[in-house]
Amino acid sequence: MSGVRAVRISIESACEKQVQEVGLDGTETYLQPLSMSQNLARLAQRIDFSQGSGSEEEEAAGAEGDAPDWAGAGASADQDDEEGLVKFQPSLWPWDSVRNNLRSALTEMCVLYDVLSIVRDKKFMTLDPVSQDALPPKQNPQTLQLISKKKSLAGAAQILLKGAERLTKSVTENQENKLQRDFNSELLRLRQHWKLRKVGDKILGDLSYRSAGSLFPHHGTFEVIKNTDIDLDKKIPEDYCPLDVQIPSDLEGSAYIKVSIQKQAPDIGDLGTVNLFKRPLPKSKPGSPHWQTKLEAAQNVLLCKEIFAQLSREAVQIKSQIPHIVVKNQIISQPFPSLQLSISLCHSSNDKKSQKSATEKQSPEDHLYVLEHNLHLLIREFHKQTLSSIMMPHPASAPFGHKRMRLSGPQAFDKNEINSLQSSEGLLEKIIKQAKHIFLRSRTAATIDSLASRIEDPQIQAHWSNINDVYESSVKVLITSQGYEQICKSIQLQLNIGVEQIRVVHRDGRVITLSHQEQELQDFLLSQFVMDLKVAVRLWFSFPVTSVKIFQKAMFYKIANGVIFVDHSKKFSGIKWKVGTLFIKWSCLCLHLALAYYDFFPEQNFDLKCLQTNYKHKEAITSKNVYLAFETFHFI
Amino acid sequence: MGFESYVSQMPVAEGKSVQQTVELLTRKLEILGAEKQGTFCVDCETYHTAASTLGSQGQAGKLMYVMHNSEYPLSCFALFENGPCLIADTNFDVLMVKLKGFFQSAKASKIETRGTRYQYCDFLVKVGTVTMGPSARGISVEVEYGPCVVASDCWSLLLEFLQSFLGSHTPGAPAVFGNRHDAVYGPADTMVQYMELFNKIRKQQQVPVAGIR
Repeated sequence: MSGVRAVRISIESACEKQVQEVGLDGTETYLQPLSMSQNLARLAQRIDFSQGSGSEEEEAAGAEGDAPDWAGAGASADQDDEEGLVKFQPSLWPWDSVRNNLRSALTEMCVLYDVLSIVRDKKFMTLDPVSQDALPPKQNPQTLQLISKKKSLAGAAQILLKGAERLTKSVTENQENKLQRDFNSELLRLRQHWKLRKVGDKILGDLSYRSAGSLFPHHGTFEVIKNTDIDLDKKIPEDYCPLDVQIPSDLEGSAYIKVSIQKQAPDIGDLGTVNLFKRPLPKSKPGSPHWQTKLEAAQNVLLCKEIFAQLSREAVQIKSQIPHIVVKNQIISQPFPSLQLSISLCHSSNDKKSQKSATEKQSPEDHLYVLEHNLHLLIREFHKQTLSSIMMPHPASAPFGHKRMRLSGPQAFDKNEINSLQSSEGLLEKIIKQAKHIFLRSRTAATIDSLASRIEDPQIQAHWSNINDVYESSVKVLITSQGYEQICKSIQLQLNIGVEQIRVVHRDGRVITLSHQEQELQDFLLSQFVMDLKVAVRLWFSFPVTSVKIFQKAMFYKIANGVIFVDHSKKFSGIKWKVGTLFIKWSCLCLHLALAYYDFFPEQNFDLKCLQTNYKHKEAITSKNVYLAFETFHFI
Repeated sequence: MGFESYVSQMPVAEGKSVQQTVELLTRKLEILGAEKQGTFCVDCETYHTAASTLGSQGQAGKLMYVMHNSEYPLSCFALFENGPCLIADTNFDVLMVKLKGFFQSAKASKIETRGTRYQYCDFLVKVGTVTMGPSARGISVEVEYGPCVVASDCWSLLLEFLQSFLGSHTPGAPAVFGNRHDAVYGPADTMVQYMELFNKIRKQQQVPVAGIR
């Protein structure tokens, strides 16, 4: 106590007053802190009545935290007041918002109270529960799974059905449009084979050979039409084709050129009769549409007509020794006397009437297919000639025609040269020549065959050559004797059969020309047979000899049927043998004759000096038998 | 290909007309043994170059002759006086129509010879009457020797043959032969000879009734 002075402790609140202003002389002007009421107002303003109860608690907590500020915040309340004055200009009182909110809350509470009181009476207002879905009873988990699966499957099925429906719709659409599209594809196929062009609204095609060089004036146009008689409801037939072709009426059916050679000329009254013989149509390739067969048949008819027109034109124009007869659909000419060649155009249409009448069938063997084929080839060759590069002029301004003919002007060809350039033969002449050759060849063959069968010896052999010309064939004829082919090689004839003549070349170089007469050839061949006899024949005979007797000048060989005398000097002096019992194969006519001279006369020696004979003989003496063999050359 | 042929003019005999002389000749040939083989015809048209193309040169236009010969039926010959000879197709006539601007046809210039042809072994003799318009102006004789092609080789033979039936009227060797003795003879040379013959005949006004040339 003595000396510790009391310390003066000054207590100052932490919250200092805010400085409002600092004067120039350093004095500070302090803001008056908010009074308690001002502070409360400030805090009340900060209450947000719209927030929920949770936030009220926070607010309450916040309000409690602010409580210690109250004392010191009295001074700031004024400031806040001023601020509040600045913020809430419409209401000057800071408690205004609080009051409004409370009032509205009161209003709402009153309304609620009123409603509830009315509802309680149940007179004017009732409360109805909001219908709720009844809670499903508790079920097994499997059934639940099943139901859920069913639902999901149903959903998937729906999607699939929708897709399927779309597809079927497009398919039916396709079916309907199928006709339209198929016509176009068929038309495309048609176009690959035939020339088509569009004229107006029609589609026309060209069947003729004009673009291939033909000069026939037929138009050859066909029309392509759409096949619309189709019933969609009924089943579409298998061979239905949306495209149909209409060919010109004169080209319907099928045709061919019949070429036949007849021996005897028929009566004049028979001429011109329709000698149709309906040839079965050539089988069309499987898979080729029906319009293709139709068009091909029509084109064939056109070609046959052209061939026949060309032939008949030539038959009338060309002068020949025996004029050709052209009657209706037949051309008759006589290549050889007593021979008749008839070329006819057989055109049979498809309708039933003509089929009935064509029952009378002419023998199809009459028809020479080779000549028909050749006619087709010749007319095609003629077509090609028209279009060949020889015909097409270079330069393009030169006139049409054969190349050499074009040059004949500038090179001053005279008449002989011009004639040699122009082909002189027409179709008819060529065909007649070919027919003549065929006939001559077949008759030659028949002659040779008949001679061969008639005459047994000597034999005649014919070797026909495989490679022949249209106008020429050749055959090699050999006349031999059986067993002596190697010796008799001299009769070899080469026959060259031409159009009207047969030329024979002999082995020794002689050339003989025979005419077409059959008899001439026969006589000639027979003469050759006789020539064959003039040939050297070497014969070997051997006899078993029973005994030998050797004499001074001769040797006697006793054989079974006779005796053979052989001279020592190896000269033949006599021979006897019995004709009938000796079995030696005689194949030569000469030996038949020779044997006729010999008789078996046991008492006589037969002199062979009437024949020239050269001989040599051999003998082989064995222990028991002597075989005597000798050769004789007989010449007649 | 050319056969030798020689064209000459046969003067008309005294006191006779052209026709009679021709008949005389043909009879001589037939007695000789020649056989008649149809007819022949050689004609000639003259063109001269158009005045428009001459320009300032002032020279007379060249004459061009267009000739046809029935021996060469598909050909047409065009030649200048001393110039080249063109052998063409018969379309040449049509071409001349197109060339109207350059070549104009001289009036009344068509001259032709028509007659018969006789074949005597290798010789071909053609005797024709030369006519200009309606009037006969002279006689042309052409002898053709088939096998020979070179001029100089067979001239003597031809001359001898001519002498045999023409008698004393045989002329001398023509200029054509003189130019190209050893060259191959062609149809152009024949036409040149005809052209010269026609020119000669054209120059003489009328057929002299009397008088030997």
